[in-house]
Amino acid sequence: MELTEVAVAGVDRLGAYALVRLADDVPVGPPGTFAMVRDPVGAAFLPRPVGLFRAADGRPAFLIDPSLGIGSLARAERLAVLSPLGRGFVLEGAEVARALLVAGGIGITVFAGVRAARLVAGFRSPEHAVATSLVDAPATIRLAPALVTDDLDLDGIAVVLASGPAGMVRAVAAVAAAAGVPCQVALEAPMACGFGACYGCAVRLDGTWKRLCIEGPVVAAERLT
Amino acid sequence: MIALGGLQIAHPVLNASGTLDALSAHAVLGDASLGCAAHVTKTITPLAREGNPAPRITEISCGLLNSIGLPGPGIDRFCAEVLPATAAIVDVPIVVSIGGFSIDDYALLADRLSPCPAAAAIELNLSCPNVKTGCLAIGSDVGETEAVTAAVRARFARPLFVKLAPGLADLASIARAAVAGGADALTLTNTARGMAMHRGTGEPLLGARTGGVSGPALRPQALAAVDAARAAVDIAIVGVGGIETADDARDYLAAGATAVAVGTAIFPDPGAPRRIAAGLVTP
Repeated sequence: MELTEVAVAGVDRLGAYALVRLADDVPVGPPGTFAMVRDPVGAAFLPRPVGLFRAADGRPAFLIDPSLGIGSLARAERLAVLSPLGRGFVLEGAEVARALLVAGGIGITVFAGVRAARLVAGFRSPEHAVATSLVDAPATIRLAPALVTDDLDLDGIAVVLASGPAGMVRAVAAVAAAAGVPCQVALEAPMACGFGACYGCAVRLDGTWKRLCIEGPVVAAERLT
Repeated sequence: MIALGGLQIAHPVLNASGTLDALSAHAVLGDASLGCAAHVTKTITPLAREGNPAPRITEISCGLLNSIGLPGPGIDRFCAEVLPATAAIVDVPIVVSIGGFSIDDYALLADRLSPCPAAAAIELNLSCPNVKTGCLAIGSDVGETEAVTAAVRARFARPLFVKLAPGLADLASIARAAVAGGADALTLTNTARGMAMHRGTGEPLLGARTGGVSGPALRPQALAAVDAARAAVDIAIVGVGGIETADDARDYLAAGATAVAVGTAIFPDPGAPRRIAAGLVTP
């Protein structure tokens, strides 16, 4: 795998978010995997991890929050991309149809294109909630201060897949564990490289610090310690 | 071929310790050494270490601030598992970086590595800013630097590199102490201690409070260290710090380095060492 420089096809507004579409094809990994993306002429020295998926037009795309520092990626004309990286969700064919997706904020991007039984998604505002359109599943939206764990219905659910802030995914994992339903969580950490070199993306797994880029970003919820 | 402190290498570009894990690079990128002429391992310590608490990294202007804290399996598992696995996929000489908290630690590490032919050379890390004792404390003291280098020299017959910190008050004396202890080459430099604050909370951004600055922000300090060491000693020098291009590497060679090591630049571009090595042969 090599770093690939590609042109940006366009940037669309998706509510409060920016959807960056790439003009040239790059490998897009299964849901939950990630790509490292950098503007080669931008001010940022390091690339950033993003969830890459195929937009409606089939082009590789990712979602960013333009209000954060990473928003400069939405102004780039070309991007250097390293993809696909990491381990995504582990799903048997039959399980997907009985999966409950639980997303917080921009964490929803890992579920783009996943046809699950239901989606529960939490957002800061209705503008952010527009990103729910990325996921092809019946959706329940929780706007802050409501929580995605409020009245979380696990009836008929074979597996819970959670993606979002650390506190949220831990809370979802606790609900799933209490109901005896398997749960996989997509975690986030600051990353410098994405391929196991920097040891910067340490997360607490199995009782010790491990590299999220190698172990995850999706891990079985019982590994959270 | 280039002679680097007794090590024969095909070109003058290495990786810096702690910036390339050959096993994961091989697994993820399909390329274990990224075109480096020698592979420098992450620093190994006598006992297994978890490393520092998260967050361990944050981007800064023109670089990276890290407090990784030398996580690793410990020397016994390194010699039994990691080093043979690395040697199986890396086709260039392996330089094993070692770090400890006392001279006895370094002596023990040298004893363990001496019978391992895959360890073509040792690099003494006397400069990590992210552990509380030993290491940088040893490499900041003339007498300790000579003693630890001599202790390893007495136990390890193959090439011996000594990696020093930037910003030492008297780098020339420390460099001469390493030579007196039997060093074959100096590596200059490690990261420079630094800190970043969270502007919302006023707390340090890194879990370990402080870290080490690397990347382009480090380059002027590291170049000055190479210049100072070159004036003081005659042994080979590996220049490290913010090298992103062949021109950056040429700056180090012009300052007296024999070779260079690419570190943080590998993170945004794993093709960097190969690109820089190619750039050095085609001006």
